[in-house]
Amino acid sequence: MIFANGKLYETSQQNEILNHLENQINQTRSSGRLEIEKVITALDKFAQELENGIFSEYIQDSFMQSQIAVSAKMLHRNALEYKIRHELGAELYQTRNLTPPESFPQIQERLMPLGTLFHISAGNVDALPAWSVIEGLLTGNINLLKLPQADSGLTIQFFQHLIQIEPILREYVYIFDTPSSDVAGMKRLAQCADAVIVWGGDTAIQAVRQLAPPECKLIEWGHRLSFCYISGNPEDSELKALARHILITQQLLCSSCQVIYLDTEEIKQIYQFCEQFLPYLEKEAQHFPVKEINAIAEMTLQRYTADLESVITGNSSQKHIFQGKFCSLTACQDSELELSCLYGNPLVKPLPRNQILSVLRRKKGYLQTAGLICPPESQSILTEILIQSGINRIFPAGKMSDTVLGEAHDGEYPLRRYTRTVNIIK
Amino acid sequence: MNAKFRLFSVKHPYTENTKELFKKAMQENVKFHYQHCPEYKTILDSKNFSPEHVIDEKRLEKLPALPTLLFKRHHLFSIPERKLPIKATSSGTRGSFSRIGLDWSSLLCGFLMVLYTAKWRKLLSFRPVNYIILGYQPNHNNQMAVMKTAFGATFFAPALHRVYALKYQNGTYQADLDSLLKKLIQFSKQKHPVRFMGFPSYTYFLLKIMQERNIFCPLPKGSKIMFGGGWKQFQAEAVEKQVLYAMIKKYLNVSEENIIEFFGAVEHPILWCDCPAHHFHVPVYARAIIRDIHTLEPLPMGEKGLVNLLTPMIKAVPVSSIMTDDIGILHSGETCSCGLRVPYLELLGRAGMKEIKTCAAGASELLKGQNL
Repeated sequence: MIFANGKLYETSQQNEILNHLENQINQTRSSGRLEIEKVITALDKFAQELENGIFSEYIQDSFMQSQIAVSAKMLHRNALEYKIRHELGAELYQTRNLTPPESFPQIQERLMPLGTLFHISAGNVDALPAWSVIEGLLTGNINLLKLPQADSGLTIQFFQHLIQIEPILREYVYIFDTPSSDVAGMKRLAQCADAVIVWGGDTAIQAVRQLAPPECKLIEWGHRLSFCYISGNPEDSELKALARHILITQQLLCSSCQVIYLDTEEIKQIYQFCEQFLPYLEKEAQHFPVKEINAIAEMTLQRYTADLESVITGNSSQKHIFQGKFCSLTACQDSELELSCLYGNPLVKPLPRNQILSVLRRKKGYLQTAGLICPPESQSILTEILIQSGINRIFPAGKMSDTVLGEAHDGEYPLRRYTRTVNIIK
Repeated sequence: MNAKFRLFSVKHPYTENTKELFKKAMQENVKFHYQHCPEYKTILDSKNFSPEHVIDEKRLEKLPALPTLLFKRHHLFSIPERKLPIKATSSGTRGSFSRIGLDWSSLLCGFLMVLYTAKWRKLLSFRPVNYIILGYQPNHNNQMAVMKTAFGATFFAPALHRVYALKYQNGTYQADLDSLLKKLIQFSKQKHPVRFMGFPSYTYFLLKIMQERNIFCPLPKGSKIMFGGGWKQFQAEAVEKQVLYAMIKKYLNVSEENIIEFFGAVEHPILWCDCPAHHFHVPVYARAIIRDIHTLEPLPMGEKGLVNLLTPMIKAVPVSSIMTDDIGILHSGETCSCGLRVPYLELLGRAGMKEIKTCAAGASELLKGQNL
């Protein structure tokens, strides 16, 4: 399904639509600018309807429902206004007069949309494709969206509804279900855009780097790895919150804990922790059973194969698995930050605080959230070390995946990246 | 005669009281691999499994199952590779291949197995037939087992012609369904039966083309449609069996009792053949154990899990017990309308990360990152 000018078209009509796309975009862009106030009003109205349950029949998953509740809050007028003010630091389209020191001439500055954004969205969170486009709209851009393959159809419904509320947005949202394998189609979309925004893993990002013409700006939101760092003796409530975080996100998010680091060099302490923590994990695993059986089976097979491989090659004793019911902990001797087996199977590794920087630097570009559990007297020193090492989010371990209004995304403000600063001297 | 030959000489492939024979054959087989494949010995030793102890039902469950993935990464042999008359590779759905070989004794067993199974399913015939092979044309560079099975199946009845969907041209395989369709129309007008063999997905594609172009090719009496090789690459196009059967009836006029499905794996070269009610009953040559997807512990009948297949057939490679990446259920055979009473295996899908929503890493990186 393709969504253009507020109407639905068959996928087979893609080429026809693409033939006219550049012209249409140019027409929209030369006929004026998108008033941000209209976008905010429409989204605010939509948020109220969302809270009244317009989409509830499509979203049964309890985690998704809680995400939707958070999303609705983020679409309220005051939240949107806060986000724009906070991220942009200046009004869009408004001219500011600047007087630089040292007798440099007066200059005018104006924040403007980049123009046309081509969003290539990942499918890990159902609301992500829509959210990416919303950020494009809040900065006055025309948005072309390529849906992820796993899209449930929710995105198009969302924009159909939004355009009913504010018909002007019709000219600012185009949605395509072009598969990534349709390189020609993807290239044509990229050619229409001033910037390509890509959400996804290394493979997706590498593919887009090859696809986008050199004159097109690339904005990459890559996949990330997150971990929990524990120093001292954690409280019962902290372990409970960490276990819940691991199971509720199924370790599928960039901000999900993959590795639990202990501030120690002793493997004995790692084993002790695994024994102590496994019951917490098992308890949460009962509350949040994993449904993706094909994925779990795959992970179990991978783990089992690796176990036999280590037997054959003689590299055993490096890892020890503490198997729980529907979850496990793997005690490792090394300190590498890496992906776990997901679905409630984190890795536990030693990482004394004086080695944090050197270990984490090996994963630069992939670092995101550190969930911190430590005694109050270590809080600021550990926070500083983590910041120095390149971590962009330091949250309490149980809140690693919480969304907070006004927080940067992987160290940057998206709205800022979707705009450009124009200078004028008269 | 050793237990393996006695097992493979059982004339009815679904005879019920072969438990003892199977266990004995497994014992011989496991012992052979333990003595001749150092890696296999290491694995069994590490799991405290001694092949000397008598193998009973419980111990068959304890026998370490080697995952197919292990054969894709390591080449394990109990007989030196150069001494093997036949080598085969898996079709590599995910781009990596298992290398497996067959020794002479296994070949003979395999021959008996195919013969008895084909006879039971009424596939053997002296009447010449035309073959439509919805799979790969053989060539000496290609060792894919799927292709060999398809080619092998063309000997159940004498072949007049063999036409292939995937033709070998200029060093690569090209799908050519158009000229295949022309041949099919030609064959349907002759008096000889036609036999289809190959991937179900290609059969489905061909039928879809026929549907689009409104082509009906009622095949001569005695024609049969045989499937093997799974749905694999075309899972997005996966179609319900019943829909496929209905299309076959409509466009080829072959009724359900003449549709036969096989499955096997290069790491488990047993011919699993469906019964007239389309169930894969467990043949005397093999056993299936369904294992918990978290713990790999054996599950009771009727529960869903990873499929572990066992056979004492092969001496060249330690595939006595292999862990497939298939997910399935073992059902009691008591209720099957075909009359066989042995349990049957239902395959439901494959383990994998496809379509999984994650941003911690993409699917390809997930696999790469698993160095546990």
